Amino acid sequence: MQLKLHKVKVRDVRWGDVTKVQEGVLYVDKASALEAVKDDAFAKVDLELARPGESIRIIPVKDCIQPRVKLSGGKEYFPGFCAPLQRAGDGATLVLDGAAVVTCGSIVAFQEGFIDMSGQGARYTPFSETNNVVLVVEPTDGLDKHKYEAALRIAGLKLATYLAKACMDTKADEVATFEKGSIAEESAKFPGLPKILYVCMSIAQGLLHDTYVYGTDVKMSFPFLLHPNEVLDGAVVSGNCVSACDKNTTYHHVNNPVVRDLYERHGKDLNFLGVVISPESTVLAGKERNARMSAAIGADLGANGAVITEEGYGNPDTDLCLTAKYFEEAGIRTVVISDEAAGTDGKSQSLADATPEMNAFVSTGNVNEMIVVPPMQKVIGDPKAIALLSGGSAESLWEDGSMYVELQSVIGSTVEIGYSQVGCEWV
Amino acid sequence: MTREIERVAQIPVAQIATIVPIMLTVGANRIVPGVAIPHPVGNPEAGPEEDKKTRRKLVLRALKALQADISEQTIFES
Repeated sequence: MQLKLHKVKVRDVRWGDVTKVQEGVLYVDKASALEAVKDDAFAKVDLELARPGESIRIIPVKDCIQPRVKLSGGKEYFPGFCAPLQRAGDGATLVLDGAAVVTCGSIVAFQEGFIDMSGQGARYTPFSETNNVVLVVEPTDGLDKHKYEAALRIAGLKLATYLAKACMDTKADEVATFEKGSIAEESAKFPGLPKILYVCMSIAQGLLHDTYVYGTDVKMSFPFLLHPNEVLDGAVVSGNCVSACDKNTTYHHVNNPVVRDLYERHGKDLNFLGVVISPESTVLAGKERNARMSAAIGADLGANGAVITEEGYGNPDTDLCLTAKYFEEAGIRTVVISDEAAGTDGKSQSLADATPEMNAFVSTGNVNEMIVVPPMQKVIGDPKAIALLSGGSAESLWEDGSMYVELQSVIGSTVEIGYSQVGCEWV
Repeated sequence: MTREIERVAQIPVAQIATIVPIMLTVGANRIVPGVAIPHPVGNPEAGPEEDKKTRRKLVLRALKALQADISEQTIFES
C-alpha cells in the first residue's frame, strides 16, 4: 500500500468569499461551510475562528479533526461516514496541515475539555498551535444524547472534509509517502529485523464512550489488524466523550506518532507489522478476551515486540496490564505508553492496576497536576462549563476569568499515543 | 475506601466491583465480582426481572462474604 499525504501548510485562518488556501491562509466561506454541516438535530449552528497566540478559550470541546480529502484512491474522507466504504490508506490525500476543526458542545458535560489558544494552558494542548475552525452547536430541545453525539461527530467530519475538498486544487507544500507491502513481503525483505506490532487500545464502552472504525462502533468487536496506512488515512474516528486529557481525538488517530515513528524506522532497525485496534470493554471477560486475542494476533504474526498504548485511565489500566501480561507470556517483549492519575500531589498509586509483566513504561504525565490558566479575552462556547468538566469544579473559574484546574481538563494534555509535550521524570 | 473502613473502623467490608484485578491491586479483602462498569450491581440489559434477580444474588453474596472467615484476599464467585 502506498499513501501520499499532500500537505498544504496553513499558517492562518480568515473568513472569505470562497473557501480556499492562498499563500498559507485558509479562507473560509462561512455560509457554504454552514450549509455543509446542517442537520435537523441542531437548533443553532455557528462557526468561529481561533488562531495560535490569540486570547481565546474554547470550551467545552468534544473532538478535533484535521481537514482532509482523498485526491486519488478513494472519494471524500472518513469511509463509512463521509465517504463510501473504501479501504483507507491507498492513493493520495490532501491535508490542510496546520488547520483543525474543533467541535464545541456539551454532551456528557464532565467528559469534554478546553483549549486555550495562548497563555499557560496553550502549552498543554497541540490544538493551540493549529488554526481552528470551531463548530459551535446547540441541540434541538429534548434531543437524545446519543443522537446529539452522533450529529456533532458527523458534522465535525463533514466540516473537515468540506474545508479540504474546497482546497483540492491547491499545490502541496510537502508530500509525505508511507509505503509498505504485505507482512509476508516485508518480512522477506527484512528477514533480520525484529518484528514490531503496535496495539492501539481504544475506548469502546458505550454510553458515548466509543471508537469507530470504518463507520462501525467497535464496542462488540474483537481486536483486529489494520495496515498502518489505514490508521493514517481516516479509518479510525473518535466518538468519545471521555476525560479530555487522554482521549485520542480523530486528529490524533490520523497523526498517530507511534504509527509514524514505527514507520520511520521500518526497514531500518525494525519491521513494523501493523496496528491492532483493541477495544477496551466494560466487563472483565471482555478485557481478558481482548488482551488474549491481541497477544494471539502478535504470536501468529511472529512479533518479537509490541508497543501498547492506552486510551483513558482507571478501568482501562486493567486492559493495559492484561495486554502486557499476555504478550510477555507469549514471549513478545512489550513497552506501554500511559499517563498517570497520581493525585494532585503526585504521591498516589498512579495506575488503578499493576502487573509484574508490565516492566517498560513510558509516562505521558500526571492527569491530576494542578495548573492555573489566565483569563482569555474571548470565550467560544460556555465559560461556566468548567464547573462540570473532569478536572474542573464549581470553584475552578475565578472572578477575573482565570481557572484553577487539573491538567486533565485540557484537550490532549496527556494523550497516551504521545502527541504532547508533557512527560514524567523518574525520581 | 474499603481499606480505610476496615483499618479505621475495624468493620469488615465486602466490595462489589467489576474489575477484579483492580480490587486485588488496591487491597480489597472480600471481593464480589460485579456485572459491568456502568452497572456493577445489576443487569438492566436482561430486563427488569432478571435485573432484580442479579441484584439480589450479588447482595446476598456480599452478605455471605461479610460473614466468611478469611485469611487472605478472597474472591466470592458463588
